Amino acid sequence: MIRESQDVIVKTLARLLVPFIVIYALYVVMHGHHSPGGGFQGGVILAASFVLLAISHGLDKIRQRLSEKTAGILSSLGVFIYAGIGLLCLLLGGKYLDYGKLSKLLSVEPAQARSLGILGVEIGVALAVMAVMCLIVFTIFSFDEDSGGDE
Amino acid sequence: MNIFFLIIGMGMCALVLLCLYRVTFGPNVLNRAAGLSAVGTKTLIILLLMGVIYDRVEMFVDISMVYALLNFLGTLVLAKYIKQSGEVEC
Repeated sequence: MIRESQDVIVKTLARLLVPFIVIYALYVVMHGHHSPGGGFQGGVILAASFVLLAISHGLDKIRQRLSEKTAGILSSLGVFIYAGIGLLCLLLGGKYLDYGKLSKLLSVEPAQARSLGILGVEIGVALAVMAVMCLIVFTIFSFDEDSGGDE
Repeated sequence: MNIFFLIIGMGMCALVLLCLYRVTFGPNVLNRAAGLSAVGTKTLIILLLMGVIYDRVEMFVDISMVYALLNFLGTLVLAKYIKQSGEVEC
């Protein structure tokens, strides 16, 4: 179990750093088709901000913000966004994830519809990756409290 | 000018080897953690120098920022683990 850190340096640094980490993660997700990065990398950086908060302010406070149940729902929501955009293209008469067909729905040109479609898919991937990474980290961090009766 | 950055990068690689010596043969685990952190910082500088040499700094700056963040986080988690495991007094 990860307890709250007593060190004022670690706590202050984490509090100051987390907003910048989140903004950088959003930049990586939004800018994924021009520069290195994309949905997976942005999701991992978002999860890193949660890990930083968990080891500086204790796991209990982070569980109040993002419980295991919420993380499970978010991961499913991310997969739903990905598959939903793909199926929407299928329903509009194209192939699976053929974003150009979204132009009729969004009333923009096909090239811009492709860009927006990739952005939507990457947001879905980022949500799913963030939630699953947080779930894995929470499970590892709280390993000893689940099996406390055996030891 | 590229030769200049290449030589600096090679010097950094030699310094990484020196830090790796401390990570391998460090007397206790705290020396190893500090050595790992120093290796991460030097890798970051090498990445930026590669960006200058290949003339794509704007791409490598993104990668090196993520590397700096994960290096900091890894050192913090390692320090937390060492403290809670109680193997070393600190």
